[in-house]
Parts: sequence; C-alpha cells; structure tokens
Amino acid sequence: MTAAVAVGVLVAGGAYLVLQRGLLRVVLGFVLLGHAMVVLVLAAGGDRGGFALPGNGAGAPADPLPQAFVLTAVVIAFAVTVYLLGLLRAGAPDPDADPDDDARGPS
Amino acid sequence: MSLLVALAVLGGLAATAPLLTRILGRDAGYVLAAGFLGVAALLAAHAPAVLDDRTVDWSAEWIPSLGVSVALRLDGVSLVFSLVALVVGALVLAYCCRYLSDATARGPVYPLLTLFAAAMVGLVLADDLVLLYVFWEITTLCSFALVSTAGAKAAGPGRHALVVTVVGGLALLVAVVLLTLATGTTRLSAVLADPPAVLASPYAIPIAACTALAAFTKSAQFPFQSWLPGAMVAMTPVSAYLHAATMVKAGIYLLVRMSPLFAGQTAWSAVLITVGLTTALLGAVQALREHDLKGMLARSTVSQLGLLVAVIGVGTSTALAAALLHTMAHALFKATLFMLVGIVDKETGSRDIRELSGLRTVMPWTAAATAVAALSMAGVPPMLGFVSKEYLFMGLLSADVTPWAGPVAGALAVTASALTFAYGARIVWGAFGGPVEQPELYEPAPAFLAPAAVAAVVGVVAGPAVSLLDPVVDSATTDALPGSTPPSVYAWHGLSPELAMSAVTVVVGLVLFWQRERVDAALQRLRLPDGPALFTRGHDALLALGGRVGAPDRSASLAAHLARPLLAVVALGVAGAVALGPLPGRVDVGDPGRWVVVALLAVAVLGTVLSTRTVALVALVGVTGLVVALWLLLSGALDVAITLLLVEVLTAVVLVLVLRGAPHRLPAAGPRRWPTAVLAVAVGVVAAGATAALTGRRELSAAGTFFLDRAEELTGGTNVVNTVLVDFRGLDTLLESVVVGVAALGLLVLGTTTVPHPTDTDDVLLRVGTRLLAPGMLLLSAWLLWRGHDEPGGGFISALVAGIAVALRQLASGTVPTRSWQQPGVLLGAGAVLAVGVGLAPLLVGDALLTPFAVLPFLSSALVFDLGVWLMVLALVVAVVQALGARPRDELEREGVAA
Repeated sequence: MTAAVAVGVLVAGGAYLVLQRGLLRVVLGFVLLGHAMVVLVLAAGGDRGGFALPGNGAGAPADPLPQAFVLTAVVIAFAVTVYLLGLLRAGAPDPDADPDDDARGPS
Repeated sequence: MSLLVALAVLGGLAATAPLLTRILGRDAGYVLAAGFLGVAALLAAHAPAVLDDRTVDWSAEWIPSLGVSVALRLDGVSLVFSLVALVVGALVLAYCCRYLSDATARGPVYPLLTLFAAAMVGLVLADDLVLLYVFWEITTLCSFALVSTAGAKAAGPGRHALVVTVVGGLALLVAVVLLTLATGTTRLSAVLADPPAVLASPYAIPIAACTALAAFTKSAQFPFQSWLPGAMVAMTPVSAYLHAATMVKAGIYLLVRMSPLFAGQTAWSAVLITVGLTTALLGAVQALREHDLKGMLARSTVSQLGLLVAVIGVGTSTALAAALLHTMAHALFKATLFMLVGIVDKETGSRDIRELSGLRTVMPWTAAATAVAALSMAGVPPMLGFVSKEYLFMGLLSADVTPWAGPVAGALAVTASALTFAYGARIVWGAFGGPVEQPELYEPAPAFLAPAAVAAVVGVVAGPAVSLLDPVVDSATTDALPGSTPPSVYAWHGLSPELAMSAVTVVVGLVLFWQRERVDAALQRLRLPDGPALFTRGHDALLALGGRVGAPDRSASLAAHLARPLLAVVALGVAGAVALGPLPGRVDVGDPGRWVVVALLAVAVLGTVLSTRTVALVALVGVTGLVVALWLLLSGALDVAITLLLVEVLTAVVLVLVLRGAPHRLPAAGPRRWPTAVLAVAVGVVAAGATAALTGRRELSAAGTFFLDRAEELTGGTNVVNTVLVDFRGLDTLLESVVVGVAALGLLVLGTTTVPHPTDTDDVLLRVGTRLLAPGMLLLSAWLLWRGHDEPGGGFISALVAGIAVALRQLASGTVPTRSWQQPGVLLGAGAVLAVGVGLAPLLVGDALLTPFAVLPFLSSALVFDLGVWLMVLALVVAVVQALGARPRDELEREGVAA
C-alpha cells in the first residue's frame, strides 16, 4: 500500500507543477512524474517485503524484471530532463509567462 | 479480355500523351482521337453479342481477402455510355487540335482528358463496386485538375466543384460498403441480380439515400447544382467533354445501374422525380436570364440532367429507354453547342450576347451548325433531340407514384422544355442575329469547325433514322431493368399526347422568344439564391468551426496542452472505478519503515509545490528523489535505488549549471493555482487508486521467478538485474542507450549557440575537494563496471559515477573535456560500435543476436556490452556539461563580454 500512496503523492505534485507558470517548474514536475512511474512499475512486480530491517521481518529482493525496466527508465528520464533543461537554457520563451515576468524565465 | 485491352489502350494513350504533344504539338489530339475511335470500334465489335442480351466479362483478383476483383462487364448500358464517352471524346480531342495553342497543348490538358476518358470508360465497364468507386473518384480528380488549368480564377469554383463531388464520392463509398454488407459480395452484377437481399436488409434506405446523394452531386442536381456553372471557368473543350457530355452523366449512369434495385420503390421515385423536375425548371429559368453563352449552356445542362433524373425516377421501361436515348441526344447537341460557342469566343473574344451581334453573315456555317444543334436541344422535329424529348414526355406521363404524378410531371416537363426552346433561341439569336457589328471577322478554319459540324449533322440524321438505335436502346433498357419489355424506338408516333405536348412546347417557346425583352426584364428582377456565394459562406463557416474546435491545440500555453491528458486520466480513473470488478486479495507485507518514508515523501512533495524560490524548488525536488531512492532501497530494488541516487546527484549538479544567474524567485503562481491544485489532487487520487487496485495482489511473476532461479546458471552473473539488462534483454538496453545518445546529440545541437563559461568558482572547498575526489570516482566507476555482472553496479551506474566526476570538475573549475577523444560524439560512436559489435558477433558463428560469449579468457561479452552502455551514458553527461556549462552567447553580449 505504501506504493499506492507514494504514487499518488508524486503524481499530484508533478501534475500541479507541470500546470504552473515557469518552465523550471514544468521540467521538475516531469521529474516527479518520472519518479511516480518508477514506483508504479516496481510495485507492479509485487511486494516481497524488501530487505530484512529491524521490524520488517524476513524480506526478499524485488522482482528483477521490473527493476531492469525502471533502471534504464531512470537513465532515460534523466536524459529527457537534461534535454528539457537544455531547451530552457537555450532561451525557449516561456509561453505562460506574464508580460512583466522575466521574458526568458528562470535562466 | 478486349475490355482490359480497351482500358489498357486508353491508359497507354494517357501515358504517352506528353510525348505525343512534344513531337506533334497540338495535333497530337488527332492521334488520341483516332485511339479513342479505335477503342470504340473494339467495344462496338462486341455489339452483336451485347444486342443479343449476352454480356462480355473479364475479371482478375485484386484484393482476394476482401473478395474484391478487377471485374469488367460490357452490357447494353455500359455499351451506350462507353460509346458516348469515346465518340464525344474523339470529337472534342479533334476540336482541341485547333482550339488549343501549341504551348497550351504541351501542358497537362491532353494527358488529363485521355486519363479522364479511361476512367469514364472504366467506370461504366466496372462490374465491381470498389472498382466503380475508384474510377468514380478518378473522374472527380481529373475534373478538378482540368478546371485548375484555368489558373487563379479557377481556385474558388474548382474548390466548390471538388468539395461537392468529393462529398458525393464519399456517399458512394458508404453505399458501396453497405451494399457489400447487405449482399456479401462486391460484384455489381451479383448485387443487382438479387434485389430482395438489398431491399430486405436494414441498410436499404441508407444505400438508396447515399446512391442518390452521389448521383445528385455528380450530376449537379438541386441543391448541389451550382458547382457546374462555376466549373465553366475551365477551357471550352473541358466544359464540352466533362461538364456536358460525360462526367456529369456518371450520376445518370449510377441511377440507371441501380434501377434494378430501386425502380418502382415509391420513395426512390418520389425523390428522384421531385429533385429532377425542380432542377430542370430552376436550370431552365437561370439559363434564360444568363448573358454568357457558356453560362447558358451550363445551366441548360443542369436542367437537362434534371429531366434525366426525373425520368429515371419514374422507373418504367419506357422511362429508362427515354433516359438512355436522351443521354445520347444530349451528349451530341450539348457538346456541339459548347464547341461552337468556343469558336465564337475564340473568333470574337467575347461570349456575352449583349456584345455579340450579326455573326450569321460573317460566320454562316458556324451559325448554321449552332442553329441545328439548338433545334435538337429545343426538341424540334426531325432532330434526335425531338425524338428523345417525345420519349421523355412519354416516360414522365407514365409516372404512377400517385394518380396525379404523371400529368403533373408531364406539365412541368413541358414548362422546362418551353423554357429550353426559348433559351435555345436566345443563344442563336443572341450570337448570330441582329446587325453586323464586326464585319472583319471570318469563318473558322474547316478543321476547327469540323468536329462540331459532324456532331450537329449526326444529330439531324439520327432523328429520322432513330430506329437504327432501337436494338441498342432495347438491349440497354433490358439490362437496366431486367425482365421489362422496352418500347420500340421510332421517330413518328402518330398523333399522340406527346406530340401535343411537343406542339405546346414549341408554341410557348416561340411566344417566350417573341416577348423576349419583357421576359428578360421579368427574369432579371427575379431574385434567385446565389449558389456559389452560399457555398462560400458554408465553406467559411465550416473552416471557422474547425478553427474553434482546434483553437485549444494552437494555444501557446503549455498548461492548455498538458491539462487535457491529465483530465483524460481523471476520466479514465472514474471509468475504471465504475467498471472494475472484484479484485484478488492483497498479498503485501506490513512495513512500518516504508510508511515513514512515504510520510517524508509527502512532506517533501508538498514543500516542492509550495516553494517560491528557485533554490528551494531545486533542493526539494532533489530531496524528493532521495526519498524515493530510499523507498526503492527498502523495497529491495538495490540497483534502481543506486541509479536513482546517482541521477539525483547529477541532476542537482546540472541544475546548478543551468540556473547560474537565474532569478532567485520563481514566477508567481497566479490565479490558476486553485483549479490546477484541484486537478492535480484528482489525478493523484486516481493514480493512487489505480496503483492500489492493480498492484500488490499477486506473488512473484513467472518471469521474475525464472530470472531469480536460472540467471546465474545461464549467464554466470549473480546480479540478476544486471544479467537481465545485458544478457536476457540486451537488445532493449542497447536501444535505450541509443535514446540516451539521441538526447546527447540534441543537447549538442542546442549547445551550438553558447560559448564556454569563462568564470570559475571561488569555493576553495569545492575546487580542492573535486580535484581530490575526481580520480577516486573514476576508479570507483571502473570497479563498479567490472563487478556489475555479479554485484550491484554495471554500465549505467558506473557511467553516472564517472559523469558526476566530470560535472563536478566543470562546476568547480569551469573546464570542460576538450580533448578529441573526450568529445560526446566520439564517446557515443565508440559506445555504439562496441555494444552493437559485441551483439552482432555471435551471428558470425550462427548464434542468436547478443548471445553471451568470452571475448578473452577473463573478459565476457557482457562486460564489453556494458562498456558500450557506459560510454554512451557518459557521452550524455559530457554533452550536458558542454552544452549547459556554457552560457548563452546573447547573455554574454548583454553583459558586454561578447566574443
């Protein structure tokens, strides 16, 4: 159940940020949405308890197949994030900016 | 077989027409005309068989899985329509040889006219519904292309004609599909042979409606008629051939063809007769108030087509025989009149009867031919037009939808015909009567006049000799309406009601002509709806509607685009909540540790969305990532957790690089804060609900069990995640690395507008620390790569470690990797070559792609593959540092540092 709450929190935060003004918020909103997908795919493999920690009982490593999927997904999400930051850096105009805001956004 | 040959010859002529015009100039038309006559002879050679009520068939498979074939069939109806298309086509092409200039003739006119003829013949020969539809659309496109050759002034009318006829084409396609559904075959002859199957199906009414719509648009029936006068911007041969004699007859052909299915059905008859007679009267009235000769002829064509539609609607054998006979007669006299008007236009430079006068003395032969054709149109004995009009009256009188239908239809037809007589006289008198005003004009060259004269003479001779056509009309009528007994066709019926109607027609027509000035004045006062203007208004309204529908997509606001998929997620969630059935029980493990992590996560995310300062936002996103990594760690996903941790560090470094010099405050959230918050919470609830409903309800998957049990045995690696990445799903990993490489290339392209950042940090701790740490991090990276197959590590993780070293060094000292082997392109290429090479190598010995093998005794292929991944991911980081570590040139210029 922790996965469900984590996904909900991350998606709500990400969705809020991508709808705001300022390209930086949008880019970081996508980062949060990416985290949510990582948690979701991993949860799809089933909950096996994780590592044996005090109070956890006997655990086991997570399903390796979703792990492999999200491992590359994390790297690709990073690639996309830096590309978006590159766009922001290159001076992409912020379509949502108020006229009195800095025209080039937070760069 | 000869049907296929006929089509192939026409197609071949169309293909060679450009070559012919290059050699022969405009005289190429004679070669094409001879070709048309040859094909006509080829088809006519089958006439004895066809007249004996047999058919000529040929077919080959086209789309066997759908039962669609290239099926051709020559019967009486197709013989009539194909011969009309070919003979009139030959005359028009011969006319083109003197009408066109050599320069125009080298343009697209000849190939398009020939292609049109091929499509028209194919349309009437097609015995497959899909084939029929294809040819139908080719004629539409040829028409549009030919109208467009008139240049800029044709843009509006051409679009009008295209839109109307394409709508009809789509209606025909719907009818074809429904007919196929109703009968289970696309073979036209099979469909027509089984009317009960169509009439009993639920699609009967839509089929009839779509068929009628297709025919009405193509044949310019009310309320679609106004495209045809507009199409008169095309050059005269095109108007004569497509928009008088043949293409507009395709709708007539379709209605005749479908008669076995629908003839005698009350609704069908009522619609066709009403629409047809309305069109006939409207067209005739409009023709009588036109001043442009071509405009008169175009509206006359509309009117005559209306009579044809009405008489087909009557649906008796007499009526269909009349339709077929009048189709031939109309093609002859209308093509003739168009060609003659073209001559007048060429010789005088005008087609306006207010400017033309007295041409009979300077162009007597042209005047005579025009008069003869006009008499045929007016239905004066002994012309062919008289005979066919008699049969039209006879057919309409036999209308029996209601008891009064026949007399009313007859009366309306007489009215339309009297108007026809009047505008026929108006054409002849307007151009050729009155005092001579241009005495310097002279008769056109015989070769220019000949095609029109031939057609005019045929129209005269065929009247008295109409009984020669009797077997053709007889056979065609029998094919159009199986089981009927068509009337014999002869010129003189004795003193019949039709003769009286003809007499009334002529008398009223003469009166109208006699009182022409008053009639004209009255008609000019008449206010009729302006078809093209209505079309333009409708067209503009449609475009405006499209603009409004599409407006959100043109919004420059990101939020406008992003909100819609998010709303869709909410809708999906609601639908899922309603539709989802009972779920299996949860099998997850109670875990207080992870609840603590999730609570931390909620705090971090809340802080992120509330932050108003850049630094806080970046820091809190970083914290969020670290908390997620912690959750992953506790869930047993060690490799993913490490990767995410490293990505977070690297992202933080990149953000610092990007945001140097950015405003400290974020833009204010503004009034959209609350609606977006509501939407975001809704999306979050849906996401949480879906995750709770759809995960954590089963034990380890079969694939997961397999990997955990067998990975070491099969690959020799003990880090199962890494074996999945490099061994089991190596191709996925390779392609994902390519995605990373593409992002790197994208950054390099963006980076071309920047120059290296000239400054470095004053932070001694950072500079010294980085210098001390960097070599160690590179060593760590190498070690993680080496052991990745067995312990947590591998290409992605180790490349991120090395990347952090590169990025920190840039941050600390402002230096970027500059040596040629350190360039991202080189790293990317090397990585791709290694990974692909080691993946392809097993193919050489016959193994599958990416099969593991030992490159050297201590070096497995998995490690080489991972090294390729390492290089590609590192290339991304180097590209990031190069592109984002530099400052945009314009920023430097603003500060006066510019290069």
